[in-house]
Amino acid sequence: MAKASMVRTGPLTRKQSEWIKRTVIYVIVIALAAVILVPFFWMLSTALQPKGDIFAWPPQWIPDPPQWHNFKDAWTALPFTRYLGNTLFIVALGLIGELASATLVAYGFARFRFPGSSLLFLVLLATMMLPFHVTLIPTFLIWQQFGLVGEFDPLVLRSWTAWGPFYIFLLRQFFMTIPRELDDAAEIDGANMFQTFFKVMLPQIKPALLAVGIFAFRGYWNDFLGPLIYLNDMSLYTLNVGMYFFMGGVNEAPQWHYLMAMSVIVALPVIMLFFLAQRYFIEGITFTGIKD
Amino acid sequence: MQSHLDTLMRWLLVPAALLVLAAVIYWAFRAVGWKTKQALGIALISPWLIGFLVFTVYPLGNSLYLSFTESSIFGHSKWVGLDNYIKLLMNDVEFWPSVRITLLYAAVTLPIGVIGALLIAMLLNNKIKGIGTFRTIYFLPAVLPEVAVALLWRWMFNSESGIINYSLSPILNVFGLDKPNWFGDPGFVLTAFAIMSVWGIFGTNTVVFLAGLQGVPKSLYEAADMDGANAFTKFRSITVPQISPVILLQVIMGMIGALQIFTIAMFVRPTTAAGKFMNQLVYERGFTQMQMGEASAVAWVLFIIILALTLLVIRSTPAWVHYESESR
Repeated sequence: MAKASMVRTGPLTRKQSEWIKRTVIYVIVIALAAVILVPFFWMLSTALQPKGDIFAWPPQWIPDPPQWHNFKDAWTALPFTRYLGNTLFIVALGLIGELASATLVAYGFARFRFPGSSLLFLVLLATMMLPFHVTLIPTFLIWQQFGLVGEFDPLVLRSWTAWGPFYIFLLRQFFMTIPRELDDAAEIDGANMFQTFFKVMLPQIKPALLAVGIFAFRGYWNDFLGPLIYLNDMSLYTLNVGMYFFMGGVNEAPQWHYLMAMSVIVALPVIMLFFLAQRYFIEGITFTGIKD
Repeated sequence: MQSHLDTLMRWLLVPAALLVLAAVIYWAFRAVGWKTKQALGIALISPWLIGFLVFTVYPLGNSLYLSFTESSIFGHSKWVGLDNYIKLLMNDVEFWPSVRITLLYAAVTLPIGVIGALLIAMLLNNKIKGIGTFRTIYFLPAVLPEVAVALLWRWMFNSESGIINYSLSPILNVFGLDKPNWFGDPGFVLTAFAIMSVWGIFGTNTVVFLAGLQGVPKSLYEAADMDGANAFTKFRSITVPQISPVILLQVIMGMIGALQIFTIAMFVRPTTAAGKFMNQLVYERGFTQMQMGEASAVAWVLFIIILALTLLVIRSTPAWVHYESESR
């Protein structure tokens, strides 16, 4: 109450107090940006540090001279090129399966009513809260029965069954925003269900498809537990699993310049993707956060 | 390469099989008298339904069954009743420390995450020049893969030459204290995780809160201004009630996420003297010691904890969550 009355009767004009408020906000916003950017800088700086300077005290902020070969050395210390190939293979298959199935299922939930459909949708939402470790072991045993443990299959085949409930939810919410009149018009024009779906519906939800694509890319790219338990042949490892073993044993001192170099490399594709499609990324989150 | 090709072939077969199943489902429901549109609907969602039955319903039941058995990875299992649970609760040196650190981790990081994200969102909700750039920067920590985040923080917390101890060294020198060995000292592990979680407040949570804030009608604030309300009163009696459904969502999802911590812990490697996180225990028991029964029991204890806490939060909602549609 004091502040409000100060605005009216105090010595500061409204303009001045507005200016002070703005300055305070800028200072906080910039300080917090530093909290985020300093660790990033430190990561990059360590990645370029000469081996002898890593444990220097005080820490060397600017590598002198920058050791660009650290990246190459780290990359070739394990067959990371092969691991990158494996990772991209998993990401590609997972992404395609996920997008195709989630879109169809979301369309089914958005546009068709049948006995039990709302109950099933609630069940779908509830699975978002299910801790996946409970189903981990039986799922492993299923794949073992099929003799597929040690192959990529457990990591990619499931994508066809739309196993990201969040993706279905997001796409369904977007389908719901399309006016029914569009479907009806297409139907009157003699389009069948498939034509309506591909020609009318899909073009309308392109931003959502992109958002799901980015989330799924990030999900498969960042997955660690799956590849860790299912892949036991070293030549099939992904980048993350490779990094885990690259980290060394419990009693070994990690090679920090190499680990930071690898962290930069692993983070780069996701960061680039984010900058390219930032709007869709954020829209996707926003949309599911407020609807329902 | 052979492995890749084999997987690719099987990966191509799955949608074909699912398509056939969808067709069968369609005809079956048509046969029992459902309308075309109804049968089409269930056929469309059938891929999810099949996946749900095979990879969620069955494993859920199966893991409960396994938790009452002594099972190895090789398939033979013996019914042992409650033995696994009794062993865990009574004489397992790793179990209670694991429950303790998992709960404490959630208790420490969740409030920082939710309250911090809300404050940041309120900050970013101001219309100032260049706010777009700041929003992008603030989202960066969420983009970085967990593996990289964990390694980066472990390095920053390095006791010998990490930048955190370096920044603290003037204070430490004044009091004549030693440099803390953050993740290596059980007394500091939680503090280190708490500091680390400050980074987690940026990103996804902030974006969701920002969206929530933008949905609060401006007229409410204007009316409060007329009444001479100060900033804190406006926050308490307008902002919080208006976005309380979003807060509820964040609390529940954040809690479930925190209790399930795994990848970060595997890469940060906090000293085992502080206790292993419950999911690490599931992984170790199941996949390095091949004790599928014991691992399932740990997983079920964690599941029950998550379920109980979620229900507790949901039951508390009438007291603090305000739904616009109900008050009308």
